[in-house]
Amino acid sequence: MDVNDPVTSIATIWPLMVFLLAATGLVIVMIGLSALLGQRHWQRTTGEPFESGMLPTGTARIRFDVKFYLMAMFFVIFDLEAIFIFAWAASVRQLGWFGYIEMLIFVGFLLLALFYLWRVGALEWGTKR
Amino acid sequence: MILIWLIAIPVAGGLAAWLLDKWAPGAPRWTALVAMLLNLLIGLRLLAPAEGPWLVAIDVPWIDAFGIRFHLAIDGLSAVLITLTNGLGMIAVACSWHEIDRRRGFFFFNLLWVLAGIIGVFSALDLFLFYFFWELMMVPMFFLIAIWGHENRIYAAVKFFLFTQIGGLLMLAAIIGLYIVHGRATGIYTFDYNALLGTAMAPPTAMWLMLGFLIAFAVKLPAFPVHSWLPDAHTEAPTAGSVILAGLLLKTGAYGLLRFVIPLFPEAARTFAPFGMLLAVIAILYGALLAFSQTDLKRLVAYTSISHMGFVMLAIFAWNELALQGAVIQIVCHGISTGALFIIVGMLQERLHTRDLRRMGGLWDQMPRMGGMALLFALASLGLPGLGNFVGEFLILIGVYPVHRTLTILAALGLVAASIYSLWIVQQAFHGRARETRHRLTDLTGREGTILGALVLAIVWLGLYPQPVFTLTRPVLDRMLQTARSAPATPLKITLAPAATARAAGPVEGDWHADR
Amino acid sequence: MQTADFTALTPLLLLAAAIAAVMLQIALKRSHILTIVLTLAGLIAAMLGVLAVGDMPARQVTPLVTMDRLAFFFIGLILTATAATALLGCRYWEHAVGQCEEYYLLLLVAALGACVLAAAHHFAAFFIGLEILSISLFTLMAFARRRMASVEAGLKYLVLAGISSAFLLFGIALIYADVGSLAFPIWTARLQAAGETVSPLLLIGMGMTVIGVGFKLALVPFHMWTADIYQGAPAPTTAFVATVSKSAMVALLLRLFAPVDFTAEPALFWTLAILAFASMIVGNILALRQDSVKRILAYSSIAHMGYLLVAFLSGGPAAIAATVFYITAYTITVLGAFGVVTVLSRTDADADSMSDFQGLFFSHPWLAGVFMAMLLSLAGIPLTAGFIGKFYAITAGAQGGIWWLIITLVLTSAASLFYYLRIVVAMFSPPLENKTQPPAAGISYSGGLVLTVMTVLLIWVGSAPGPLIDLIGRITQ
Repeated sequence: MDVNDPVTSIATIWPLMVFLLAATGLVIVMIGLSALLGQRHWQRTTGEPFESGMLPTGTARIRFDVKFYLMAMFFVIFDLEAIFIFAWAASVRQLGWFGYIEMLIFVGFLLLALFYLWRVGALEWGTKR
Repeated sequence: MILIWLIAIPVAGGLAAWLLDKWAPGAPRWTALVAMLLNLLIGLRLLAPAEGPWLVAIDVPWIDAFGIRFHLAIDGLSAVLITLTNGLGMIAVACSWHEIDRRRGFFFFNLLWVLAGIIGVFSALDLFLFYFFWELMMVPMFFLIAIWGHENRIYAAVKFFLFTQIGGLLMLAAIIGLYIVHGRATGIYTFDYNALLGTAMAPPTAMWLMLGFLIAFAVKLPAFPVHSWLPDAHTEAPTAGSVILAGLLLKTGAYGLLRFVIPLFPEAARTFAPFGMLLAVIAILYGALLAFSQTDLKRLVAYTSISHMGFVMLAIFAWNELALQGAVIQIVCHGISTGALFIIVGMLQERLHTRDLRRMGGLWDQMPRMGGMALLFALASLGLPGLGNFVGEFLILIGVYPVHRTLTILAALGLVAASIYSLWIVQQAFHGRARETRHRLTDLTGREGTILGALVLAIVWLGLYPQPVFTLTRPVLDRMLQTARSAPATPLKITLAPAATARAAGPVEGDWHADR
Repeated sequence: MQTADFTALTPLLLLAAAIAAVMLQIALKRSHILTIVLTLAGLIAAMLGVLAVGDMPARQVTPLVTMDRLAFFFIGLILTATAATALLGCRYWEHAVGQCEEYYLLLLVAALGACVLAAAHHFAAFFIGLEILSISLFTLMAFARRRMASVEAGLKYLVLAGISSAFLLFGIALIYADVGSLAFPIWTARLQAAGETVSPLLLIGMGMTVIGVGFKLALVPFHMWTADIYQGAPAPTTAFVATVSKSAMVALLLRLFAPVDFTAEPALFWTLAILAFASMIVGNILALRQDSVKRILAYSSIAHMGYLLVAFLSGGPAAIAATVFYITAYTITVLGAFGVVTVLSRTDADADSMSDFQGLFFSHPWLAGVFMAMLLSLAGIPLTAGFIGKFYAITAGAQGGIWWLIITLVLTSAASLFYYLRIVVAMFSPPLENKTQPPAAGISYSGGLVLTVMTVLLIWVGSAPGPLIDLIGRITQ
C-alpha cells in the first residue's frame, strides 16, 4: 500500500478520525446537554464550595512547608529508579553477571545520591543546622 | 628577506615602543623614529631598476588547505609607494613629537602598525594576504582617531571604520568569488595574484566581482558617492593620523585600482570606465567646491584630497601610459603636499587652539617662515609648474584628453577651483590683519622646520626632475597595460562578438577605449 | 557489550566517574578548592581519554551512540569549554552564594549530557542527552539564587526548554510513526530516498526536530529566550550556555542533516536557509538596539549561528569542515569574551552595562586588550580565529553557490561592527568619575589563565589555522 497516496493514507487513518470526532462530540454533548437541561438558580450558597455540609473556614491557599515538596520529589525520583530494577529483574538470566555488575553500579549510584542527600541535610525535617 | 624586514621592523618597533613606555617617557618616540629611519634606509635599496617583473619576492606556503601563500613581491611601483610610506611615516612620527602627551607608547604602537599594514598592502601578491593587511591597517587607524583625535573623534572613527569595513567585506566576498571561479575553471584553488590574472569568466560574473573590489577601493580613494567618511576622519584625527590617512591610506585605494581591479577584470573595468571617469570628475569638482566653502582649515584640506584623488581615479580609468604615469606622480606628490598642509594645520592648532579660518588672519607677521611654507604647499596643491603636483596633473590631463575631451575640460576646471581654494587658505590664514588679539606666537622650531624642509625638498625635486620615478614605474605600467589588453582574449572568444575581440587585442596606444 | 565498547566510551565513563567522585567529596567534606581540583582532574582525565582513544576507528556502541572522530572532537571541545567555565567560576562563586560546590557538580552533569548529544546516533540518545543538559542548565542559570534576574532566567529557560522538548518529542513520535525506527541513519536514508515526495508525517516530524535544534541554537524565530537568559544568568553559566550547549547542538545538527543532500530535499534546505537568513538579520538588528553588553553578546550569538548555518547549508565537501571550524573558533572567542565579563563581575551583580566597561583600557589595559581581541574576532577582523571562521564560511557558501545568503552574511556582519565597536569605544573612553573599579581584588590566577589561553588560541588559530584545518579535515572525511 502506498502511504504517500493521499486517498489511501486517509483510508488508513479513518479510525483515528472517528475517534477524534467521537471524543470531541462527547465533550460537546456533555457540556451542551447540561447547559440545556440543567436548572438555573442563583442563591446565597450557590457559589460556595461543597464541603459535606460543613461551612468552609479559612483560606484555601495555605503555605505548605517546602519540605513537603522536597520529600514528594525524593519519593518520585527514587520510586522511578526502582522501575529500572524491575526491567533488569525481568531479564536477569539473559543478562547474566554482566547485567548484575551493571545493576550493582546503578544501585551504587542511587546509594551515593542518597548518601549525598543525607549529608547535605536534605532529609532532615527541622530547620537546617 | 628584505620584504620581511620592511614589515617586521615597524611591527617590532611598535611593540617595543609600547613596552618601553613604562621605562622612560621619551623612549617610545625615539624607538619609533629609529625604526622608521631603519625602514627607510632598507627601503631605499629597493629603488633600483628590476631585472625581471619583480625586484624581490618571497613566497612560502601559509594555509595550505585554501591554497593561501605568504607571497610578497615588489616591483618599481610598490618600491616607490613603500619609500613614500617610510618617508611619510618618519615625518608622522616626528610631527607627533610633542603633540601626543598621553599614552605615547600605545600611540606609536598603533602608528607603526598602520605603517606595517600599509607596507604589507603595497607588497602583498596573494589576495588573501592583501585582504589581511588591508584590514590590519584599519584597526590601529581606528584607535589613532578614536583615542587621540579631537572633539568629535568617536563619531569620526566609527564612521571611518564602518565605511572601510563594508567595502572590505564586499572585497572579501569578491576575492573568494574570484578564487572559486578560477578554481572551477582550472582545478587549481589559489589566491595567487599572478595565477588569477587572466582568469576566464562570463562578463556578468566579472562585473559583479569587479564591483566588489571597486567599492572597497573607491571607499578608500575616496570616490564621489562613498567619500563622506573622509572629511570627518581627517578633521578629527591627530596630525600624524591625518598625514597617514591623506598621504598613505588613500593611496592604497588608488594602488588597489591599479594593481587589482583593472588587470584582473580588464573587460569589466573597460565597461565601467566611462562611469568611473564621470565619478572621478564629479569628485574633482565637488571636492573643490566644498573645500572652498569650509571654515575649518583641516576640513578644507580634507576636501581638497577628494578633489586631487579624483584626478588619480580619472587617470586610472583612462588607462593609457601618460595618464598612468601622471597618476603615479600625483599619488606621490599629493601624499607629500597634503601631508605637509595637514602638518601646518596641526602646528597652527597647537599654537592657536583652533582650526577656524575665521579666527585666523595676519599670522604672517608673527610667523613668516611658517607662512612661507604654507604658501609653497598651497601653490603645490594648486599645481604650480616646478612643483611635483603640476607634473602629475599635467600628465593626467594630457593622457585623458584623447580618451574623453569633455571630461578633460571639466577636470581642468578643477585646477581653476584648486587655485582659488589654495590661495584662499593663505589669504585667510596668513594675510590681512589679525581678527582677534592673541599672544606672541613662536615661528617654526628647528624640529618643525626640518620636517617641512624635507617635504619641500621632496616636492621640488619631484617637480623639477621626476624622471627617476618614471624610470622605476614605467616597466610596471607597461606590463599592466599589456596584461589588460591581452588577457581577456580567451574569455572574449566565448562571450563577445569576434569584432570586439580583434580590436581589444590591438596594441595601439589608447586602444583600450577604442570602441567607444 | 565488549571491551572495545568500553574503550570507546572511556571519556564518558571518566566523566561519569568524576561526577560520582565530586558528589562523594561534597557529601564527605565541603571544600571549594577540593571540588575545583577534583572537577578539573576529572575533566583532564576525560580529555586524556579523548586523546588516547580519539584516533580509533568509528565504533557504534549500543544502538544509541556512535563514537567516531567527530564525536571525539566535539567531546574534546565540550570538555575544554567546561574546564574553562569551571576555572572562571573559581573566583566568581567564592563570595557570591553560600555554598557553591554543587555548581561544579552540575557543570559536569551538563557536560556529560552535551557529550551524549555530540555522540548521539539515535533519537532516544538525542532526547536523553538534551534533557540531562537542559535540566542541569536550569539550575546553573538560577544558581546565583539571591539575584532575581538569575532565578528568573532559570525559570524562563525551564518553561521554554520544556515547550521545545515537547515539540521535539512530538516530532520524534511522528518520525517513528513514519520510519519505524529512531536511528539517525535510517531516518536520513528515508529522507534522502523520499526526495520531494516526502510524506506529510515525515515532513512535520522533521520540522519539529528543527524546532528542537533551533531552540537550543537560538535561531530566529526560536530565539526569544536568549537575551534574558544571557543577561540574567551568572556570567560563567552564560559562557557555558553559549559554548557547550551550542557546540553539542551543532554536532547533532551535523549528524541529523549533513548526510542529507540538500538538492534532493529542498524543503529542508529552505527551512534552514530561512532560519539562517532571519537569524542574521534579526540578531544583528536587535543587537544594534541594546545597551547591555551581555544582551549585545546574546543577540550577536543569534547572528553567529546564522553565519554558521550559511557554512552548513553550502552542502559542498567543505560544508561540514567549515561548520566545525566555525563553532570551534566561536567557542574560543565566546569563552574569552564571557571570561572577561566574569572576571570583571562583582559579587552582587555581573559587569553588564556599558559604564562597567568604560575606561577599562586605562584601568586594566590587558583585560581590555583581551576583550577587544574577542570582539574583533566576533566581528571577523583578520588575525583572529573569528576571521578565519567567517572566511571559511564564505568560501564554503560560495562553493555551494548560495550567494544571497553570503551577501546577507557580508552586509549584516558589516552592520554588526557597529555594536562591537560601541563596546570597544566605551573601553577606550575616559573612565567615569565616581566609580569603584571592579574587581577590587584584581584578576584571579584561574581567570587570568583562561583568558591567556583563549587569547593565545585565538591569535594562533587566526594566524596559522593550518593545523586546526588539517585536524578538522581528518575528522570530517
